[in-house]
Amino acid sequence: MITITIDGKEIQTEPSKTIIEAAFEHGIYVPHFCWHPALSISGNCRMCLVEVEKMPKQVIACSTRCMDGMVVHVNSEKAVQAREAVMEFILINHPLDCPICDEAGECKLQDYAYHYSVGESRFDEEKGLKRKRVALGPRVLFDAERCISCSRCIRFCEDLAGYPELTFVERGDHVTIETFPGRQLENPYSMNVIDICPVGALTSRDFRFKARAWDMSETPGVCPGCARGCSMDMWVRQNEILRLTPRENQEVNNFWMCDRGRLESFRHVHEETRIEQPMLRKDGVQLAVGWDEALAAAASELRSWKGDTVAVIASPYDTCEDNFLAARFAREILTTQFLDILPHVEAGDQDEFLLREDKTPNSAGARIAGVTPVDDAHNLDSIVEGLQSGKIKAVVVSDVRAHEHAGFMQALGKAQFVVAIVSNASALTERADVVLSASTFAEKLGTFLNFEGQLQLLRPAVNTTENERWMGAFAMSRLDKFASEFDRWGRMKRYDARSAGRVFSLLAQLMGGKWGYDHPEDIFEEMAKRIEALHGLTYEGLGRWGVRLGSEQPGHLLPYKYSDVRP
Amino acid sequence: MEVRTQDKYTLTFWEKLYIPEILKGMKLTLEQMLKKKDTREYPEEKWVPPPSYRGAPVLVLERNGVERCVACGLCSRVCPALAIEVQAAETEHEKERYPELFEINMLRCIFCGFCEEVCPEEAIVMSPTYEMVFTRYEDAIFGKDKLLMSAEELAPRLEFLRSHR
Amino acid sequence: MDFIDIVIALIKIVVMFAVVLVTVAELVYTERKISAWIQNRIGPNRVGWRGLLQPYADVIKLVLKEDIVPTAANRFIHTLAPIISIGVAFSTLAVIPIAGETISMFGREIQMVIADVNVGVLYVLALTSMGVYGLTLSGWSSNNKYSLLGGLRSSAQMISYELSMGLSVIGVIMITGSLQLTEIVSHQSGWMWNMVLQPVGFITFVVAAFAETNRTPFDLPEAEPELVGGYHTEYSSFKFALFFLAEYANMITASAIIVTLYFGGWQVPYLELLALPTGVVVVLQILAFIVKVAFMLFVFQWVRWTVPRFRYDQLMDLGWKVMLPIALANVIVTGIVILLIQ
Repeated sequence: MITITIDGKEIQTEPSKTIIEAAFEHGIYVPHFCWHPALSISGNCRMCLVEVEKMPKQVIACSTRCMDGMVVHVNSEKAVQAREAVMEFILINHPLDCPICDEAGECKLQDYAYHYSVGESRFDEEKGLKRKRVALGPRVLFDAERCISCSRCIRFCEDLAGYPELTFVERGDHVTIETFPGRQLENPYSMNVIDICPVGALTSRDFRFKARAWDMSETPGVCPGCARGCSMDMWVRQNEILRLTPRENQEVNNFWMCDRGRLESFRHVHEETRIEQPMLRKDGVQLAVGWDEALAAAASELRSWKGDTVAVIASPYDTCEDNFLAARFAREILTTQFLDILPHVEAGDQDEFLLREDKTPNSAGARIAGVTPVDDAHNLDSIVEGLQSGKIKAVVVSDVRAHEHAGFMQALGKAQFVVAIVSNASALTERADVVLSASTFAEKLGTFLNFEGQLQLLRPAVNTTENERWMGAFAMSRLDKFASEFDRWGRMKRYDARSAGRVFSLLAQLMGGKWGYDHPEDIFEEMAKRIEALHGLTYEGLGRWGVRLGSEQPGHLLPYKYSDVRP
Repeated sequence: MEVRTQDKYTLTFWEKLYIPEILKGMKLTLEQMLKKKDTREYPEEKWVPPPSYRGAPVLVLERNGVERCVACGLCSRVCPALAIEVQAAETEHEKERYPELFEINMLRCIFCGFCEEVCPEEAIVMSPTYEMVFTRYEDAIFGKDKLLMSAEELAPRLEFLRSHR
Repeated sequence: MDFIDIVIALIKIVVMFAVVLVTVAELVYTERKISAWIQNRIGPNRVGWRGLLQPYADVIKLVLKEDIVPTAANRFIHTLAPIISIGVAFSTLAVIPIAGETISMFGREIQMVIADVNVGVLYVLALTSMGVYGLTLSGWSSNNKYSLLGGLRSSAQMISYELSMGLSVIGVIMITGSLQLTEIVSHQSGWMWNMVLQPVGFITFVVAAFAETNRTPFDLPEAEPELVGGYHTEYSSFKFALFFLAEYANMITASAIIVTLYFGGWQVPYLELLALPTGVVVVLQILAFIVKVAFMLFVFQWVRWTVPRFRYDQLMDLGWKVMLPIALANVIVTGIVILLIQ
């Protein structure tokens, strides 16, 4: 251990650490563009220049290692001057097109220009002209003029994703980024370069020009794309999710997220196939009805099929709370042991970085919440067999992607009564006798358990008719706060959907159950009492990053949270 | 600190009588009666605002038929009354961004001119329009069709803005 | 007095009513015009020629409005009050002579006055004090603190100024030696108008007349800034219109009395020297009366848009400490002068 002093604060650190690492570890912010805690050191932006006593010149904090007795000044006059000079250099060729740049509002360069720049330029000549709107790949656009050549994107693709696709070409002020000949930026993690780009040089083709960062609300959530369960933020404007971005969580996904999860995992929330309200089959035709009628119809029909003539297919897309109630509903109300989930595995689509074969976010959670067949005679195969043989006559399905299982769907054709508690229309809802519109992952509070045993909290970002966008209860943008009923942008599309857990709870009550829960937190409290693995846990205790169940604790990439250290 | 006090004003004998003072006042009003009238008979005789006037905000349409606006959304952000809604989209023009939808709710608008001040493109300016009458709520929400005004028409205001930058 | 006399009296009354009502309407118009001119504006100019029909539009608007009576109000008195006001305002005009000569018609000499009462001055004073009942009752019956205050103020004001008004008139009566208004007018032939003979009495009378009609600067009973609308706060629709009409009718009455008592009524100086036929003389006398009244009305409105409202203590000070002593002194001086001349 050595001792260094940064801005008058004495710090115990190790000689293997750089100054910037030591500073961040102790909550001291050093401005930087090219340095990123998860990437290799490049040292080409020069923004992190600091003054070190007894050194002839200012040094870059990102690649200078700590030495015992070092005295570092981040905010001394010399350091500030150096930073201002670097900012002036960087801004020489940076175009003044913030108004049309998507990064505006969340741009590191923009922020630094306010914090660390003098505000004017001595550069009278024309700015350099470079290529704009270059499609580096199917999902990422590149604007060469805005690029400050920090090489974060190049290093990410090479070092972390393992797909060397990008490189610098040319020299001096002509330097720009290109893909290697014959290649495109199309790796499954390509969109992470957009997040780490400190300027608006790399933008998302999907999100391009859709909304301003300040017009959206930002709700922390969990990606439902695969069993990894990456922490992410849901960006919502006018009650519509416009994009997902990864959120720092060193116990799950560090700073990253796969393109598929980012682009596809939320589409079903706003798809046209979304079921807007409950439906009931009357004389062979499905009619839209109110909740009371649909629930009463389902309950009265299910009452006649109790025992082992009924099966419940819970959903690995639903939260642990939903599955807990699905299990209780099956076992206590329907008194059946036929209870399981459908697997959704895409064999081979897995790597060491993030992707998992299991494309459900909560299979592990469903199991832990009680959706576990008591024996082989009651698992999914037995249910399909039972349906085929006509032994099982009624089925309650809450899996929104059940239609992807041809065998199951075919067996379902033999059932006499099908209740679907799902959010989107499919072959399943066409077959169903009662369709109860369920809310999606973005519309409810609950927990997801990933394949490693990380239990994370899921917060609602989109509101349904049940789920009003109250002040305080939701992340709210300025528009949400001040819209009146007369503003078109205040009249948001809302679905009449309820969480699967709530539906099971209501059905149970109609069928004589003595339990009912108003809030997911009540369910979790009950789960924490009944399920050994969850003992002692609360929503509050899950915090921002969740809790690792079991004895094996995750290793952290960094001894600090990068996004928590702020200027 | 020096404190100055004002003695209570005491009326003279003639002032106490009131009548002479009232007669003085009546002389004044009689003179006023004969003076030129300041009234402007509005619908027939319209007022032409000076360039400094802040009327309804409008979007500047360039001579080539393209709006200046790049839909950056700053006007929408700065608007204290939340009167402006902008939805950006991509175009093939050199300025790659344009407002697919640009709406100003004239019932929300308070004509403060912040939008004009914040606009980096000088694309939204306060026009001399001051006559806005609606009979339905929807009519008060001006879309691009009503907002676009040619640069020639807005020349005095644009000139004014340049000279006072 | 036979049937025809009654018919003639009725015709006179109807004519008088019609003329006064139209005048009242147009007074509203001139009021708005004069206020506009004083404030360098144009005033109403949209309804009818130069806005002449504006008051009728206003009346139609008023009449079409909902008549609201407060729940806690005394309904009967609430309705009675405006009727008293307007009734008193019109009745006073009965004794005002508008021409000296009589005209012959249907074989009768018709006097240019509805009722030539021999105690005309007393009648006038009595009726104008009656007018205060309209305001006081409306204030009380509305069951509203502002209305009540307005009503109280109006009665206090009336008592204070009635005195000096009566004392001012005494001077005129002493000179004329009669209470009959026709007699008083006849006495002011040539330039010997009472205004000239009684300048102090004239001024005190005019000031008292302003106070009696509740016109600015004496409109304390309805002082908007303090009392909302004063006695008529709780009135709407036609009842409000009646108060409105009464105020202007009172103005006409007051002007007519001032003209009769001090401006020589229908007298046109030295008209008799021209030796015109009776018909022409009557017409000229009526015209002279109208012009004089019109001038007084203009003065009323001119003062209203010139002088701001008195404070209440100023009002009382003026009434008791200035007007009353002056009026009393005027009586004494007049008496001494008459004695000396005789």
